[in-house]
Amino acid sequence: MARAQKPKQSRRPQAKSLKQNNLRGFAKRQSLKSQRSSKYSESSDVYEYQPENVRRSKVKLQLEKDELDGARRDISGSEDEDDGPKRNGLRPRLVGENDDEGGLGSDEDEEIDSDEAFDESDEERFAGFNFSTKTKSVAKRKPQKRSLQSRTVPLIDLNEDEVELEEAPSENASASEGEDSAADDEEEGDPEDFIDVLDMIDGKGPAESADEGEHTQKEERPSASKARVEGDDVPHLEDEDEDMHDEEDEGISSDESEEDESHISPMDDAISASGDEDDDVGTSLHDLQSFITNLDAGQKRKAPDDEAAPTTETGEARRQKRRMLKERTEAGEENEFAPHRGATKLNLDDLLNPLASSSSNLLSLKKSAKILTSISAKNQTLSAPLPQRTQERLDREAAYQQTKEEVDKWSATMKKIKEAEHLSFPLQAQPAGRTSNLELAAKFKPTTELESAVDRLLKSAKMREEDIAQTESLKMNHLSVEEVSARRAELAKMRELMFRAEAKAKRVAKIKSKTYRRIKKKEKAKIAAKLGEGSDDEDMNEETRMKHEVERARERATLKHKNTGKWAKAMRARGDLDEDQRRDISEMLSRGEKLRRRIQGIGSGDESEEGEDDTEDDEEGAADRIKASAFEELAQLDKGSEGEEDSGRKGKSIFEMKFMKDAIARDQQRAKQMADDFVREMGESNHEDDEDDELTGGRIEESSGATIERVGGRVTYRPGAQLRTVNSLASDTSSITLRSNDLPSDVARSVTPSATSPIPEKLGIATEAPNPWLAPRQDPAKAVPKKHEIAVSKDSASVEKSKNKLRKKAQKHEEEQSKARNDAAVDISMSNVMTLGDNSSAGPSKPKTRSQSGNQRDDGDDDSDVHSEVEEQERLLDRKGKGKANGVKAFEQRDLVARAFAGDNVVRDFAEAKRREMQEDAPKEVDTTLPGWGSWGGTGTRKAQPKPHLIKKVAGVDPTTRADYKKAHVIISEKRDKKAAKYMVKDLPYPYTSKAQFERSMDIPIGTEWNTRVGFQRGTLPKIVTKPGTVINPLEKLL
Amino acid sequence: MVKISVLQHAPSTHLPARPGDPTPTSRNLDPLMHPFARARERTRALNAVKMERIFAKPFIAALEGHVDAVETMARKPGTLNVVASGSWDGGMIVHDISLRRHILRVDEAHKGKISGVCFADEDRLLTCGVDRNVKLWDTREVDENGAGPSDVRKPLNVFPGKSAFNSIDHHRTDPIFATASNIVQIWDETKSAPISNLSFPTSIETISAIKFNLSESSVLASIGSDRTFTLYDIRTGKAERRIVMQMRSNALSWSPTFPTTILLASEDHNLYTFDIRSLKTPSQIYKAHVAAVMSCDWSPTGHQFVSGGWDRTVRIWQEGRGTAPEVYHTKRMQRVTSTLFTSDAKYVLSGSDDGNIRIWKARAHEKLGILDSRERAAIEYRESLKQKWKTDAQVNKISRSDFLSLFASVYIVADRQLSSLSRTRHIPKPVHKAGQLKRTMLEAQRVKEERRRKHTRAGESKPTAEKRKVVIAEQS
Repeated sequence: MARAQKPKQSRRPQAKSLKQNNLRGFAKRQSLKSQRSSKYSESSDVYEYQPENVRRSKVKLQLEKDELDGARRDISGSEDEDDGPKRNGLRPRLVGENDDEGGLGSDEDEEIDSDEAFDESDEERFAGFNFSTKTKSVAKRKPQKRSLQSRTVPLIDLNEDEVELEEAPSENASASEGEDSAADDEEEGDPEDFIDVLDMIDGKGPAESADEGEHTQKEERPSASKARVEGDDVPHLEDEDEDMHDEEDEGISSDESEEDESHISPMDDAISASGDEDDDVGTSLHDLQSFITNLDAGQKRKAPDDEAAPTTETGEARRQKRRMLKERTEAGEENEFAPHRGATKLNLDDLLNPLASSSSNLLSLKKSAKILTSISAKNQTLSAPLPQRTQERLDREAAYQQTKEEVDKWSATMKKIKEAEHLSFPLQAQPAGRTSNLELAAKFKPTTELESAVDRLLKSAKMREEDIAQTESLKMNHLSVEEVSARRAELAKMRELMFRAEAKAKRVAKIKSKTYRRIKKKEKAKIAAKLGEGSDDEDMNEETRMKHEVERARERATLKHKNTGKWAKAMRARGDLDEDQRRDISEMLSRGEKLRRRIQGIGSGDESEEGEDDTEDDEEGAADRIKASAFEELAQLDKGSEGEEDSGRKGKSIFEMKFMKDAIARDQQRAKQMADDFVREMGESNHEDDEDDELTGGRIEESSGATIERVGGRVTYRPGAQLRTVNSLASDTSSITLRSNDLPSDVARSVTPSATSPIPEKLGIATEAPNPWLAPRQDPAKAVPKKHEIAVSKDSASVEKSKNKLRKKAQKHEEEQSKARNDAAVDISMSNVMTLGDNSSAGPSKPKTRSQSGNQRDDGDDDSDVHSEVEEQERLLDRKGKGKANGVKAFEQRDLVARAFAGDNVVRDFAEAKRREMQEDAPKEVDTTLPGWGSWGGTGTRKAQPKPHLIKKVAGVDPTTRADYKKAHVIISEKRDKKAAKYMVKDLPYPYTSKAQFERSMDIPIGTEWNTRVGFQRGTLPKIVTKPGTVINPLEKLL
Repeated sequence: MVKISVLQHAPSTHLPARPGDPTPTSRNLDPLMHPFARARERTRALNAVKMERIFAKPFIAALEGHVDAVETMARKPGTLNVVASGSWDGGMIVHDISLRRHILRVDEAHKGKISGVCFADEDRLLTCGVDRNVKLWDTREVDENGAGPSDVRKPLNVFPGKSAFNSIDHHRTDPIFATASNIVQIWDETKSAPISNLSFPTSIETISAIKFNLSESSVLASIGSDRTFTLYDIRTGKAERRIVMQMRSNALSWSPTFPTTILLASEDHNLYTFDIRSLKTPSQIYKAHVAAVMSCDWSPTGHQFVSGGWDRTVRIWQEGRGTAPEVYHTKRMQRVTSTLFTSDAKYVLSGSDDGNIRIWKARAHEKLGILDSRERAAIEYRESLKQKWKTDAQVNKISRSDFLSLFASVYIVADRQLSSLSRTRHIPKPVHKAGQLKRTMLEAQRVKEERRRKHTRAGESKPTAEKRKVVIAEQS
């Protein structure tokens, strides 16, 4: 009351929407308030969460638009506006809500506080209008007030119209009048005053006296301003009465205030200006205000019920029913408390007139007032409250939505848990109490006696942490400037050095030169050796250890008999030696000599030219040499015999005679055999040596190209074998066996090794009756060890080496092949075969036959493969018969084979078998009729149709659905494998989507035998892991 | 160059790196080298599943002490071994289940049955009974009044109510608790009157059970005699939503790891999980009991739950798997009125009509005691083998069989009756018969429904999904 005395100019927001809001918000609040007051007045207990309740109820209002539609269709904009504040009101609570605690109460309190604070400041501003009193009264009689408020709004509207009409003329007069009356009633500070004015305004409708008109005109401005002010002010006032309003009101009011500020900012100047002129204007305003406060004071007291006259404008029956307005009659005499109301309406302009003299902002005020009034026209009535049940249902609905939203925040977590492959419980690990020493020390307070004693001691010795720190800092303080600078310089230097070293290392790392690297490595090795004397095994890595080991072994193998050994070196270095040592040395030397001799002695006699250096290479070389010489000799021998033959053929002698020839041949054969034996022995050993060199353990096959073979994880490289296709059709073979016109080409293709080949003998030795179907796969015989065409240096790349090896092999193979071809070619020329008997002496005819064979091979290539089997056999026979030097045998064998397979038509048989199989499986109908049963016999009876129930249908497999349908070369059985059926699954198990997927998953074993340790652990980790004896707490919201 | 083979000894390749480590083994992991891997693993899986059945002995102990049926049990949060139970005779016992002794025993805690117990905080216990009182107890050996274990205990506090209480539950963190009578009331521990009443308007039912959500601790759910399930929120102070189901529920439990999931044990022999965000249909139906389900409780992992039924069985279910739960029963166990998981998810407690509380292993074949790492690895291997080979007919058959019939199938295959028994677990004959009867009835119902549909105009009546039948109405 007291503070309300000072009149002040209220700010008028210019924005149209703002005013609208204010008005509507106010009206709405009023209606809500009344509603609530009725509701809560009876409920005595104050549940902490009730404010929430109200808030939700408000939410409800907003949510159910359709419900409210009928009631307030006119307030379309306000709802949208209300959204903002409401949400603001809701959100902080939900989001910022504390974990488990209700947290709501405190929240609320805060809001209330801010609200109050705001209100206080506001009050000052609007103190002139005496709100506190007014609102108090409002609180006292809510129902009435609601109706009043709703009435005021239309009034303003009307005024607005008038303002437009009468603006100019009425200004001065009304202003003076207002002043007068204000002066009259200044002293009266009745608390109820303001309400009375409102009442009066409301009731003005039916009987409008000129006075009243004036009054109301004056009233106009306060009421307008009040409309907006109340938005701010009401909450606070209501707080006193009912806590539950806080939330909502705060939301709205804060929003409004925000809007206010934003809108008002352009008007700030105006306001400040008016502030300056406050003194001038102040008096007039004050007058006006006091006048208003005193207006119709008694009126209200007398007839609060009467006021609401039957308003003509609002004719809606429903509204009337709700509002319960009573007809208003003139009551009481006109006096200072109840001025008579016959006057014209109080106009807004009347109220503004006093400002006309001073205000630069009058115009703007007018403008804003105009907007205000014009808009308020639509806002004639407020909605009736919903029925309680509907209201509550809406509340629940909204509350449920909120709860849903709240719990929905868990959805991500739940999804994660659901999809996790492994879960280790408890899921939310307790924050590990990792407290650092520092932390502990900082927190430490001596509690026990001992502790305190120790603490005291430390304190006395100034050894506690803080003391130490202090002393340190003190020390630092004592340092002189020079010292500090020196330290700094040192540090900088170190840093610089480090940087440089780093840069250097980077640069060095980029060098690509191999020589540089080698040198570097050597240096490193040297250093390592120097350092490594003391170092033990542990820091040696595997590689170096291996290297050491190799070195040592080599030394063992080589140096025992040499004077380069460690011991020998030591002896040499020693200089003077005693008897024993000298003897040892001599022994060593002699042993070395002996060894050397042994290596070289067996070979050629001339070891003198062999170098003194006795490396392994030499030993090997010696052996090679020996072998080579032996082979040479053999070759010579061969040549000699050939020469003999040639000469023998030319001259006619006794040797020409058949028996002599035979005898010679026999002799030769024997000799050959011996030679062959030898060759084979040597050759094989030689071969073995070769193999030793290369690391691959695989067998070497004759081939021209290289093949890469992978057997069980290891890759082997070797010269590729042009293997005969074993799967060439059998039928072809059998049929072709009989064809003799293929022969030349067959023979030409034959890859038979030369006559020098020891294989036949070997086979003969191995198996008494040679298997004609087995073809030898390789011919290891090789008389002369090959000289290396391409020198493979030690350090050439391993690829190079292996390539070289391959080449070597290929070459070898080539030679053999050519040799064989030659032989075959010789075989072809029938006469030669017959006459020569032995084709080992193919030397002279070589060039000719080669060309020939080349040609033949060219045209024989196409069908040669299919004949390979036959060839093989023949070749073998050839070889076998070679000892007897009888080529005819080959043909005999051929005949034999042809005869053996004469009736063997494999292809046809296969087709037949398949057809039979298909027929067996095919669906069929079996007539199970027993002849003579169920039918008539005798003459003249017709044969009855088989009864359908006696026809048994066997559902077989349709030929077209068979797995081997249109696959000529296979028969796939459609029969069910009973034993395997045990392990089959009927349908695809659940999580899998395809058969392949399932099979793949079943294929992979999970045991330790088939997995690495980590793989096993990972594969067998259970989905849910719980630790025994660990409490698993429910999920918790973590802040 | 002569090739020199070097003897070398690198211990790191075949010795464990650290003392505790397993010895490194080198083996060829090439699958081509192991043509029989699959066959071997299958055999192992078979053995594993047989072992499981052989060692499946879930019963551990029975805790005695109650004179009448054990109506309710509650575990003390944060402990493994402390469980309180209330009985029909009004006796309340706090058990130490690891030592199998009574920590506290009050014979006349309430007049009439104790309908609910729950721990308030560390040492304080709340009980409610049909004598319209909620009592707060101190469970320490020597309580505040100085009464030792042998003395007659007095409650620390008594909260009088207006009607008989059926259930009580404490808020997870705050000092408030909720009781269920004909309305839901929220109490403050420090106040003698309820601080608020929550009830769904227009409901005149008896609330039979109430539970606070564990993670979203202001959310509250109750079930009532009117076949309802109601959701509350103490922040909004409202009953927010209610569903009416075909049959009433007897118990409810919130999932500890899935905060939106609630489990209802229904009178119609089934259990239902609901997602509270959509209460129209249950998210899963669990069918196996042959009588009303009287109690249920989630495992703390949220991947299992236990239920006890009027059919005298305790069943342990896997979350999301609506059939074939593990069945526990003993000859002397009567109607199971309360069940509970321990908070390490390893054990299950069941309180039954015979007045005993039984301790079971949650996994029947689990080995108790300390395992060394190798054994644990072996067990895990066996488990994953079983999992992998469960599609195999034989493995599956054995896993479904019973301990006894396993031997029957192994040794006495000729005996037909036994081998037919080996199809499923052995259950008491009455349960078995009841199951048969139930199946028959359901089948008859189904047939009838089908016929009815056949004789109505096409498309007029469509079969409704089982899930849609559960909820009659959802009310807001």
